[in-house]
Amino acid sequence: MTRGRGEEGGTTAVDPRLRRDRGGRRARPHSAQPELDRVRPGRRGHRRHPHGHRRRRHRAGPPLLVVVATLVALAVVTPLVFLVVEAFQTGWTTLHPLLFRSLTAQLLWNTVSLTVVVTALCAVLGTGLAWLVERTDLPGRHFWAVLVVIPLGIPDFVVSFGWRAVFPSIGGFWAAVLVMVLAVYPLVFLPVAASLRNADPAQEEVARSLGAGRLRTFWKVTVGQARLAILGGAVLVGLVCLAEFGAFEILGYRTLTTEAYTEFTVGFNTAAGCAFSLILVLLGALLLAGEGAARGKGRTARLGAGAARALRPRPLGRGAAPALMAVGAVVVLALGVPVGAIVYLILQGGTSTVPNASVWGATLTTFGYGAGAGIVATLGALPIALLSVRHPGRRVRVLERTSMLILAVPGIVVALSAAYVTNYFLDGRWYQTTPLLIVVYAIMFFPMAVVSVRAAVARAPIGLEEVGHSLGVRRSSVFWRVTLPLIAPGLAAAFCLVFLETATELTATLILIPTGQATLATGFWAQQSNLSYGAAAPYAGIMVLIAAVPSYVLGRWFDRLPSRSAAAGVPASAPVARAEVLAGATMVR
Amino acid sequence: MKELVARGTCKSFGDLQVLDGVDLVVPAGSFTAILGASGSGKTTLLRLIAGFERLDRGSLLLGDQVVDDGHRVFVPSERRRIGYVPQEGALFPHLSVGRNVAFGLHRGPNRRARVMELLDMVGLSGLHRRYPHQLSGGQQQRVALARALATDPEIVLLDEPFSSLDASLRASVRNEVHDVLRQAGTTSVMVTHDQEEALSMADQVAVLRNGVVAQLGTPAGLYRHPRDLALARFLGEANVLDARVRVLGQGVVAETPLGALPVEGWPPSGALGCPDGRARVLVRPEQLVVGDASSSPVVARVESSEYYGHDTVVRVRPEGDRLPELVVRMTGGSPLEAGHRIGLAVRGPVVAWPVTDLE
Repeated sequence: MTRGRGEEGGTTAVDPRLRRDRGGRRARPHSAQPELDRVRPGRRGHRRHPHGHRRRRHRAGPPLLVVVATLVALAVVTPLVFLVVEAFQTGWTTLHPLLFRSLTAQLLWNTVSLTVVVTALCAVLGTGLAWLVERTDLPGRHFWAVLVVIPLGIPDFVVSFGWRAVFPSIGGFWAAVLVMVLAVYPLVFLPVAASLRNADPAQEEVARSLGAGRLRTFWKVTVGQARLAILGGAVLVGLVCLAEFGAFEILGYRTLTTEAYTEFTVGFNTAAGCAFSLILVLLGALLLAGEGAARGKGRTARLGAGAARALRPRPLGRGAAPALMAVGAVVVLALGVPVGAIVYLILQGGTSTVPNASVWGATLTTFGYGAGAGIVATLGALPIALLSVRHPGRRVRVLERTSMLILAVPGIVVALSAAYVTNYFLDGRWYQTTPLLIVVYAIMFFPMAVVSVRAAVARAPIGLEEVGHSLGVRRSSVFWRVTLPLIAPGLAAAFCLVFLETATELTATLILIPTGQATLATGFWAQQSNLSYGAAAPYAGIMVLIAAVPSYVLGRWFDRLPSRSAAAGVPASAPVARAEVLAGATMVR
Repeated sequence: MKELVARGTCKSFGDLQVLDGVDLVVPAGSFTAILGASGSGKTTLLRLIAGFERLDRGSLLLGDQVVDDGHRVFVPSERRRIGYVPQEGALFPHLSVGRNVAFGLHRGPNRRARVMELLDMVGLSGLHRRYPHQLSGGQQQRVALARALATDPEIVLLDEPFSSLDASLRASVRNEVHDVLRQAGTTSVMVTHDQEEALSMADQVAVLRNGVVAQLGTPAGLYRHPRDLALARFLGEANVLDARVRVLGQGVVAETPLGALPVEGWPPSGALGCPDGRARVLVRPEQLVVGDASSSPVVARVESSEYYGHDTVVRVRPEGDRLPELVVRMTGGSPLEAGHRIGLAVRGPVVAWPVTDLE
């Protein structure tokens, strides 16, 4: 530690001296600038883009692009708009008794208490794991770092199913807490690990040198550095808990979401569905607003130039064995139990549960829907992303944030809203059709598409196109040779993210899927609802494979692209990407 | 290689007038530096020449062709035959060095040979298979130059090409780029905020201030005869003395606390006369000569001294209360201790401006 500090101190002391020496004759060129820099009001010094072009001052952007982007943003928020319309049409006299009854209070308590407990436990578990993996000499920490993320790729309802298959009597509040924590803790782990990796270790050393003890340093500096990451991850966990349907249904735990589904499908009670939707959207908005308030104004990044030195991992010493056991236990519980259960059920079933024709049919349907939603969402995100990167301004930010609102809206609400629109305004036309389902998917996962596409567009700065033009190359040719190759990986990433989310979507699919069709998720659901666990297992197995394997392969592919520096920012694998994109999406607001 | 002429070019963004009638002639084959503080409009001027932005008013000519006249004529960037070297190079990150350089070349049997020739010229032969992220900052900058020169441009535009480089790297890359451009013999325009860079590289320097060319001239002319005090300070360190100017026979002399100094170029152009002879005199730090305190008419006390090896910058305060602190640059020698008494003399003629002309 001492050696490291000495080195750094040494360079900073010598460096300016060296610079002045080399430029001895330059007579401090900046000294006289104030004289010449008698700037007019409104001029700012930092208008440079990293690639050396001046940010365009024509703020608004091409009119056609603005119109299209506005239409897309409006389309994305239609579920919210129609939720309000529906509430008005239903009327306060109908809604009032539905909102203020003991069932609602009970469901609200179930939902909120579960969300709070799961979020708190995930924050602790995720942060603890991130610290062990990033900051200690935990044996095999790189290996664990990969393993503890994989559960994010397994749909929550499959985790729930696996536990139920192993322990048939499991159920109730604590079972729901256990399953949810194991399914979603990576949402906290990923951003916190990234933040600890990027934080300046010198801050910890400084804290120690100022007389803070180990514990105080850990609490004030290490956790402090990761504060925003923990907060962001926790909000995502909360949003997932609000929207979760399948996992709770399997465990017999009733929340606002499960009840909204039941009211709609069993009781055909749209008014009750509307009431529950209103509460869910309100809770989601509260979560996002709370995060915004708690975020504050502090910065957690390093201030100042120079590359951060890697911190020597903290030796665990005698704590290594318990730490190893704890991490191992998490992996066994979160990954081993569900995957083991699926494999066991498939093997036990023998020939009778070898994936049959309906499983392959469902796989094909799932791929079709996923591809459709991926294309629609990616193309829809393009105008907003283009505006946001190339013509930034207040209006564009409003558009972007509007389209991000959907992040706080549970899938069930989007689906019920779509059902309401088709049934009351279109006489049932489009209801339970493939186009509507694909549009609903695209709306639900639109924030992910926007964040990835924006990152993609940012990788092709307009300065590069200008250089292309200056070399005498035609505009269309520059697009094909420069712009497209640069943004293609990001567009592919956006497509893959939406595809993967769609492939494991259950709630909205159950409501809106065309009659006679089945996706992997709904096929799985039909079997497990009949308690045919053996028959449900192949569906679950394929979903896990789709979620985990291609994302790993894709991650490796993106990593190996020659333009690594250009592709930097393409997330390493799809589960990772999912968390990063969601985290990025909440930051956009 | 072609001449570039800008006449009364105006450009504003929104209600911000960035260029307010810039007149500039860049002779064919010359190297011109556009020097200005940040916000002076220098990059906007370069982007107008490149065809990335359109003029509001005025005209731009490349050779005898009007490329932009503010309303009807606008030749797009890709048909101007320019070479553009942006800040930080802006290499295409998904293309290898060879493909970057070949970007503007047409397919043909000579393409490969031409790329090799260009890479050889910028001293990077053998690196054509590398990708931009595998190069150092200086190498990236040289690839960007090779790419710009590949299409035999009429004029090469460089936008603060060295500002992203380390101080240690800057000088060497600067020399290499300068040599390559000389060798290629193209007309070159470079934008910079670094007066040292502008003075050392260019044949002609245009200082841009508040959207107009404040002064245009050779580096030596600009440094020795800046049009006003602000320019004098912008172009290098300056000691300014109060003086009274007298005509003495053929010459002009400024009576200063450092003695009577011969004045060059009096009265300065644009000066509206100087009835009482009150003036301010510019003495560059290297014009001050340190001598023995006992044999000098002006004695000063050393306040501080910064030793750079090849030279030393000494801050001195002349004895008596009439003079401000002065900056002296001594070549070689050893550092002087604070409190040391020295004698001061002025070498060579000085420049003066009438007091009424100031501020």
